[in-house]
Amino acid sequence: MSLFNRNDKSGETKSADAKPIESKPAEIKTGETRGATAPQPQPQTAQQAAAKTELPKFAEPPRPAPAAKPIQPPTPTPAKTGAVMASVISKALKITGELESTEDIQIDGQIEGDVRGVGVKIGQNAKVKGTVYGDEVELAGTIEGKIEAKKVIVAATARMTGDIWHQEIKVESGAYINGNLKPELGKAEPRSTSRPVASTPTLSPVSATSVTAAH
Amino acid sequence: MLTMARRSPDQRPGPNSTRAEAEAPPSFLGPGVGIQGALEIDGELVISGLVRGSIAALRLVIAAGGCVEGDIVAHEVVIKGRLNGRVFAPTVSVEASAEVEGRIFHTTVSVERGARVNGRMPWRPISYFETLDKLPEIRE
Repeated sequence: MSLFNRNDKSGETKSADAKPIESKPAEIKTGETRGATAPQPQPQTAQQAAAKTELPKFAEPPRPAPAAKPIQPPTPTPAKTGAVMASVISKALKITGELESTEDIQIDGQIEGDVRGVGVKIGQNAKVKGTVYGDEVELAGTIEGKIEAKKVIVAATARMTGDIWHQEIKVESGAYINGNLKPELGKAEPRSTSRPVASTPTLSPVSATSVTAAH
Repeated sequence: MLTMARRSPDQRPGPNSTRAEAEAPPSFLGPGVGIQGALEIDGELVISGLVRGSIAALRLVIAAGGCVEGDIVAHEVVIKGRLNGRVFAPTVSVEASAEVEGRIFHTTVSVERGARVNGRMPWRPISYFETLDKLPEIRE
């Protein structure tokens, strides 16, 4: 008890009696939350209030300070969106103009204009009028124009009107292609790159030629 | 606002069914996407990239980091990124991270503390937006 008393006395300067102290700590704990007792929290709140009033004064007038805020939010949003999905141009969206993307993009809507991307997936209901540039283009929809891509995959549902410049192509049977296939994208490069990669697409070009020949 | 929302499907192209389907997957333009031209969407559009041109949408969100240079016609616009142009929307909310330069034509607008708005925010009655199918060509 004596040890407890000494500790309590040292801790709380104002309290003198030993017995009430044992009951006081419980009261103080509850009192701190209520804010009724405990002289210490009050100056803290006063300091905090003063700090709160002071900080905005510094932050507000030089507006660059809030401008720093947008730097924080963008990082979570790409993280969320990047985890969930890449860029999506949905069915309801119609774009008249040029589109450029440095990331993968899914197109389900309508685009009148050129598309420049890295990985471009053109969905079944999509319509593109213009040239589609990219490293890898998957076509399941409609293009009226041209494709220039290193790797082209033309699905069975695709409807392609125009030339396809590629290094590597896969065409599923059922695809409609009205145009020329040119394996000459970046003339010097394709021969070197197409031969090693040729193992996978060798099967598909056969169907590709048959399909194109049919049309 | 209710009348606005009810009339919207009639004004916008496409019947209710397509609109409902369109609203299910919102279009999203990531930070690496840049578009120059006109966008027209019968649904929601979220922009994290750069768009130069006019936008017509039901609901448009300019995400933080997103940038739009051009005019916007929508039913609802949420701005968290940068905008340089005009907004025509009955409901507009400008978030703290927003930077807006231009005019915001609105019926109800909210601007969060910290937002940077340089321009006017003229009020218009709901009826003004109901008749607004296209972007007004005359600069006010």
